[in-house]
Amino acid sequence: MTTFRAPDPVVAKVSVPFARRSGRPGGRRRTSRPEAFVFLTPWLLGAVALTVGPMVVSLYLSFTDYDMFTSPKWVGIDNFVRMFTDDDRYLQSVKVTAIYVLVSVPLKLIVSLLVAMLLNSRRGANGFYRAAFYAPSLLGASVAAALVWRALFTGGGPVNELLASLGWHTPSWIDDPKFSLASIVLLGVWQFGAPMVIFLAGLKQIPPELLESASIDGAGALRRFWHITLPMLSPVIFFNLVMEAIHAFQAFTPAFVIGGGRGGPADADLFYTLYLFEVGFQDFKMGYASAMAWVLLAVIAIVTAIVFRTARLWVFYEDAEAR
Amino acid sequence: MLAVVPFLLAGVAACGGGGAGADGEVAITFVWWGSDGRANLTKQAVDLFQQRNPKIKVQTSFSAYAAYWEKLATQTAGGNAPDVLNMDGRYLAEYGGRNVLADLNQGPGKSISLTDVNPELAATGVYQGKRYAVPWAQNTPAMIYDPAAFTAAGADPANGMTWDQFADATQKVSAASGFSVRGATDFGILDTALEIWLRQQGKQLYTPAGKLGFTADDLRRYWRLAGRFRDAKGVSPADVTSSYNTSPEQSPLGKKLTSSEFAYDNLLPAYKTASGKALSVAPYPGDASGNNGQYRRPAMFLSISARSKAQEAAAKLVDFLINDPDAGRILGTDRGLAPNLKVRAQLAQGATGNDKTLYGYESALEPKLGAAPPVPPKGAGSIQKLLQRTYEEVAFGRMSVDDAVSRFMSEAEKALT
Amino acid sequence: MMTTASTLRRGRTARSAGWHLVCLAGVAVVLYPLVWLGFSSFKPPDEILSRLALLPSRFVFDGYTKGWEGAAGVGFGRFFLNSFLVAGLSVVANVLSCSLAAFAFARLRFRFRGALFAFMITTLMLPYHVTLIPQYVIFQQAGLVNTFVPLILPKLLATEAFFVFLIVQFMRGIPSELDEAATIDGCGVYRTFWYVVLPLSKPALVTTSIFTFIWTWNDFFTQMVYLNDTEKFTVPLGLRLFVDTSSQSNFGAMFAMSALALVPIVLFFLAFQRLLVEGVSTSGLKG
Repeated sequence: MTTFRAPDPVVAKVSVPFARRSGRPGGRRRTSRPEAFVFLTPWLLGAVALTVGPMVVSLYLSFTDYDMFTSPKWVGIDNFVRMFTDDDRYLQSVKVTAIYVLVSVPLKLIVSLLVAMLLNSRRGANGFYRAAFYAPSLLGASVAAALVWRALFTGGGPVNELLASLGWHTPSWIDDPKFSLASIVLLGVWQFGAPMVIFLAGLKQIPPELLESASIDGAGALRRFWHITLPMLSPVIFFNLVMEAIHAFQAFTPAFVIGGGRGGPADADLFYTLYLFEVGFQDFKMGYASAMAWVLLAVIAIVTAIVFRTARLWVFYEDAEAR
Repeated sequence: MLAVVPFLLAGVAACGGGGAGADGEVAITFVWWGSDGRANLTKQAVDLFQQRNPKIKVQTSFSAYAAYWEKLATQTAGGNAPDVLNMDGRYLAEYGGRNVLADLNQGPGKSISLTDVNPELAATGVYQGKRYAVPWAQNTPAMIYDPAAFTAAGADPANGMTWDQFADATQKVSAASGFSVRGATDFGILDTALEIWLRQQGKQLYTPAGKLGFTADDLRRYWRLAGRFRDAKGVSPADVTSSYNTSPEQSPLGKKLTSSEFAYDNLLPAYKTASGKALSVAPYPGDASGNNGQYRRPAMFLSISARSKAQEAAAKLVDFLINDPDAGRILGTDRGLAPNLKVRAQLAQGATGNDKTLYGYESALEPKLGAAPPVPPKGAGSIQKLLQRTYEEVAFGRMSVDDAVSRFMSEAEKALT
Repeated sequence: MMTTASTLRRGRTARSAGWHLVCLAGVAVVLYPLVWLGFSSFKPPDEILSRLALLPSRFVFDGYTKGWEGAAGVGFGRFFLNSFLVAGLSVVANVLSCSLAAFAFARLRFRFRGALFAFMITTLMLPYHVTLIPQYVIFQQAGLVNTFVPLILPKLLATEAFFVFLIVQFMRGIPSELDEAATIDGCGVYRTFWYVVLPLSKPALVTTSIFTFIWTWNDFFTQMVYLNDTEKFTVPLGLRLFVDTSSQSNFGAMFAMSALALVPIVLFFLAFQRLLVEGVSTSGLKG
């Protein structure tokens, strides 16, 4: 006998972390636990000592002209106005980042989920495959990774040769404005290890009895995936979606190491944070950079809030009290 | 877990960041950029300094160029700038102009001797009337090239060429390889090449007042010149040009995709190792009159932090590094030629190999070398990248020369205000 | 009967072979760049960046010998030790602090829960470049620059909200009946956390360990900013010492040591992914 029920994503009323539960009819109210703050102590200490202060400082700086070495000068909302009215490169960085988020996030999630499903079996050599698929992510965004990527996609390199043999002649991907961003998207997708491992861990939490009993009931592989795996995995999918989106919005290192610190050929890879970094640390305009950072935060917060809102429609939690 | 805490904290006592100890001992921090090989040489020189000055302890740290500036900016903003630091002309105004660096014409900095330094070279490092840095080495813009390829094309860059001869030679070199190895790396992206070309016209990159020293029309002519080379396939194609970065190993010449490249003479050994070819140095192409616009370039500087509590010890170290014959011997030509002319003359005598090429090149060029341009203004650091990316728009055929020039001029003006 | 059983078995073998085939094909594509990296570490200096062929024209071991000597008189082994220390302590610190915070968010009701959770997620959204300097000032004032403390203390204080959020998501996947039952049985909150929820969160904790170790091992920026002495450098910092865009670099040593630096994290991953496999299904959660 199992304590699990196959969840029905449509019927299950799902709660999300933001949701206020007390007001929900039918929800069981748990009593408030002051012990929670004992558990939260390290995090609260860290937040107060290391996170809140620097965040407040950067928020203040976003309204100033600050060159890092002399005192900041208050300029009101000038930085924010300038961003949208007098900075073509800023708009270019927004465009590059938007494309990157929209293309790389779904691609990476699909690839990592497929591979995780493939590897979620009890066959032999599984550990090897798992390590092999994770291996690219071990490399991180190091200089070596950048050079390898460059070698693969350069003119006359393996990718070019392969495409040429199929009749498609391309220039050096990394160095051509038309292809450069694609090569960085591919680098991001290639390092799909993190979401894959999280999906795997999520798949491990699905009790095999559930799938077995569904199988005995005659459900095909696709039906099982759709009605059991996906709903059971939804909190993890949700997590991966939120985190990959946040990471993609902040993508920095791949473009930084591949472009040697600049925004690629003709600014084709000028990611938002790359531009922010350039403005702050190379042009000494930390006030402007801080303003850029807070605009990014606002955008990510809105996108995340939307994802959290829609979560109640498709994320199923075991601890959801309204059943 | 707790047992590790003392270990983690052990480093704290060691980093005092400049200050006098109980027994008159002074600790200073000294940072520079560069590779491992350079670090070994510099550490040797520092060790010698410590032997001679037992009361001064020097804590050294080094990183690669880009990381160096990121870290220095953070340290400086955090009020933790090192006592003695490596400075680049491109950043001199940014740091000097913001009171981060000590004026070496005042106080302990005066003890740094510049009497044996070429006066024109010694005059660099001064910004708005204050000496924020002293030159640590001299190099000269140069063309690094493959003599075999150019000789086969009937050209002799070593004795100087005109731009027309250079155009002809690069085209021939390219043709000799079926255009797979081009005659030169496209120079349209290089601010150093633009600067030399402007100087040949009697203009400059920046005026002493910190504005652009050339007009839209000058830039248009420069890019049209590069365009001629591009059309003749004498220079690298756009997707090779855009892969350029200042690292000799990663540049088109280092990767054996071109046969010449404008760079600095002291990078010759690095280019040779990277390409595996017997490369050499030659002056820039010039006009018929032989004025080729080259100058004594301060390859890099040494500065002292304005907030250093051990300025005397810091000044002593700086003086040692630029004037001491033994230090000069240890440091060699890695950063360029020794700034102290007496030290340089001594070293030139016994020079062999790459060093010999270098001394030969610079001494042959010496009578023609002009004075270095004024310190680039604040914001100049971004001009190089601006030039590169606007020229890329042209090279990839995404923008006309006129549009790219006007974009360059308007963005450059914004950057320099 | 016999025939169905054997066709079934044959079908299973065929499917298994197909599965291996698909896996191997994927592995080949995904690993090719790494194999390229491996071979590159044996290329002579003038081929490392210019030779496009996978194999070197001749095998050269200079990268490994020169690389292992390290930089500026500090052996590369030292960088490895430092990285082990930093990454190892980070794992312990992160797992402890993040699971504590996650338990509170996932399992307990308290005032401001929603607001605090929202705040925690928000901390993920600000690019770290703009908080770097204020944070540097804090550690600088505390005299902790050029020690490992700025690299580990934040992890002990659960500042990496990514992991808190990760563990929260997993803990919420654990049926609430279990810890409610534990509470009824007289377990306090602390015992419930330690004996019920934590063991059941093993996949999340293993994931946290793997990621913390690998990401710390590869992190460049923070370590670059906080560590000054070459003796204190970690592997990513050591690797960059071989490469400088303004002078002569040693790409051979950089490639060789990059390849070598993969070994510990591959081993770490292999060791820990085994725990990932066991997961919940073997931890006694069968109804």
